[in-house]
Amino acid sequence: MFKTIWFLNRLLHRNSGVSKHRGVVRLWSNAAEGAVAPPADCSITAEQAIRCWAQHFTLHGISEPLLSSQYIISHVLGEKTLECVQRKRLRDTLTDRERESVWELCSKRLTRMPVQYVIEEWDFRDLTLKMRPPVFIPRPETEELVSLVLEDSRLIQGESHRTDLRCLEVGCGSGAISLSLLHSIPQLRVFALDQSQTAVCLTMENANRLGLQDRLEVHLLDVIKDADVILSKCNPVDFLISNPPYLLSQDMKTLQTEILKFEDHSALDGGLDGLSVIRPILALSSKLLTPRGRVYLEVAPCHPPIIQQLIEEMMPGLLYLETRCDLTNRPRFCILQKKGEDG
Amino acid sequence: MAVVCFGKSLSRAGRQLLNVTVFRSITRASVCRCPAIHRTVNSTIPHAQRAFHASQPVMVTKILSMEEIFNKKALHDYLKKKEMEYNSCLQSLNTESQTLDDEHVKINRNNLSVLGPLVQKIKELEEKQKELEDTLDLLKDNDPELHELAESEKEACLAAIQDLRQQILSLLIPEEESDMSDLVLEVTAGVGGQEAMLFTAEIFDMYHNFAAFHGWGFDILEVMSSELGGIRRAAASISGPFSYKKLKFEAGVHRVQRVPKTESKGRIHTSTMTVAILPQPTEISFTISPKDLRIETKRASGAGGQHVNTTDSAVRIVHLPTGTVAECQQERSQIKNKETAMTLLRAKLFSARLEEETSKRYLARKLQIGSRGRSEKIRTYNFSQDRITDHRIGKTVHDVHGFLQGEELLEEMIVFLQQFSEQESLMDILQDCDQNQ
Repeated sequence: MFKTIWFLNRLLHRNSGVSKHRGVVRLWSNAAEGAVAPPADCSITAEQAIRCWAQHFTLHGISEPLLSSQYIISHVLGEKTLECVQRKRLRDTLTDRERESVWELCSKRLTRMPVQYVIEEWDFRDLTLKMRPPVFIPRPETEELVSLVLEDSRLIQGESHRTDLRCLEVGCGSGAISLSLLHSIPQLRVFALDQSQTAVCLTMENANRLGLQDRLEVHLLDVIKDADVILSKCNPVDFLISNPPYLLSQDMKTLQTEILKFEDHSALDGGLDGLSVIRPILALSSKLLTPRGRVYLEVAPCHPPIIQQLIEEMMPGLLYLETRCDLTNRPRFCILQKKGEDG
Repeated sequence: MAVVCFGKSLSRAGRQLLNVTVFRSITRASVCRCPAIHRTVNSTIPHAQRAFHASQPVMVTKILSMEEIFNKKALHDYLKKKEMEYNSCLQSLNTESQTLDDEHVKINRNNLSVLGPLVQKIKELEEKQKELEDTLDLLKDNDPELHELAESEKEACLAAIQDLRQQILSLLIPEEESDMSDLVLEVTAGVGGQEAMLFTAEIFDMYHNFAAFHGWGFDILEVMSSELGGIRRAAASISGPFSYKKLKFEAGVHRVQRVPKTESKGRIHTSTMTVAILPQPTEISFTISPKDLRIETKRASGAGGQHVNTTDSAVRIVHLPTGTVAECQQERSQIKNKETAMTLLRAKLFSARLEEETSKRYLARKLQIGSRGRSEKIRTYNFSQDRITDHRIGKTVHDVHGFLQGEELLEEMIVFLQQFSEQESLMDILQDCDQNQ
């Protein structure tokens, strides 16, 4: 640890001409615990702070050290990404408040807290959403899941006689999927469920911030235990969408610390085969969907053939339409359809 | 008298049109003002003289007035030829309709519909000109009332003739498919360090204002700024009617001569920046097969999905057949970065394809488009002498600050360039016609 302090002293001294060593020593003494006081009489520019913290993160084995540092400091400066910050601004000395904020937030990152929780927000498609631990942080793949729905022209164009379209989201988390859909489909009404109270609250908070609360109902319900309640409250829906927990239990222990320590495990763990939540969702869909209504699921790459087989053997009311890949070409999305009256 | 010619690329008719005296003995050692042609000429004739610079533009070509254009024999011949074509099509359709096969009939009908409007306008023009002659006769009369009437008639005739001539020219000059496109504007700082980057920012702002001036959309795709508030590189998507048509001749190297902000001793520096204009195709007109793309993101390793939490949303797209690359990391949302990268890629691919198609047509032109003109110094902005010179057409205007506002002054220059380009197109047509005879 002393090596750390010594190194950082040298760094600050070299880069910004800081004269008060003592302040800096005090600063780093609690580094390992994560709670750090900002240097008292230290003047540092944004650029220097970024470099400084990037190196500090690296020393502590924090993943994506430079990006973490850039996102946090850009956020403190009121921007989303470093590219958005005026270059001039980066060479300005941080104000006292900014400096304190940077130190406070970066210290949190030292505890392996994901950047999205540190800055308490993240972007999903066109929206900026509030993030709060342990509510699951939306992944980029899920942005593509929403695209799949939007590609279905039956839902977007035409249908002029339909004044409202109804959708059920299982496991809404921060509300990313529901709110994106509401944002893009004006005639959509969404029923969103989650078995976590924190998630339900966060979804509602995000809905209110985006002005989408009128077409959204959020319920604290568990798709496994409360299937009957769901049926009575939400029946029928035109399509169902979900990014359910799909990790295999055995893979849970290989997760990075950021996820294990801060995100809700029940939003990730799909049981032995990863299908413990997917199965009840499929069972529910055949009862809940209008004829030819669709199910859009995000799954693990190994799931599509298993799900296909499952449908054929155990759920005769559903038809497996197709598997779609994500940007990295991994099979990621399953699209199913409830058979029409004609079978 | 300066004797200038454009080397071998112009036909005899072309040179006649430009009213330039040509001596056969000096066609080889040509002294060219136009840098593009100079290069071609120079490469084959090693001892050709250097192009002289455009600080005092030699008026080799200028924009010909409507009257000058219509005085050209070549134009008259061309119009006559079109009329003859029209008449012969008409005749063949009327008399041989029984003996000709469907294909022939179809071709003739098509020609008629294409030539019809042109021939109509030619007839109208001839009528108006006859009318004008008659009116001019009346003017010889001494009766004051009649005189007044004749004067106003004359004015009306002249206006109508001008209008008809413009319409005929528009019918002659072909529409380019890409003129209807939107575009991607790319600016890159060139030689001159910080000063070049500051100048790049000013030019970027100029086009931003120009877009607003025309009510076009201006979406910034990426900006890499410099320490002093300049721009290293930036790209914007501009959308609106005729946006590409108007901006396509802005591509090339823009040069600034002034005392930089960073200069302590008051010396004048020359810095450069490059503008690239990439037409943006519509979805329908230009499709890229997903199979040809390799999309690279940081989530490639491991299982991805719920398994990984990362904040690296940069996207890089490679078009495998051509090796063209576009990337973006402007946003926190990966899908938005992907969309921006795709926009950039489509623009690059489309403009490359467009260039292939038009390169032959634009070979001998002064106004180049696409990457052919990319390294051409097209314009100099001289602050101390307060003037802007476009080197391709030898036009100088004043009020640099006003010009950089990106409003009327820039619009004027652009209209001038457009007219020049239309004229070059017209000369090409007449030339082709001449060569084919």
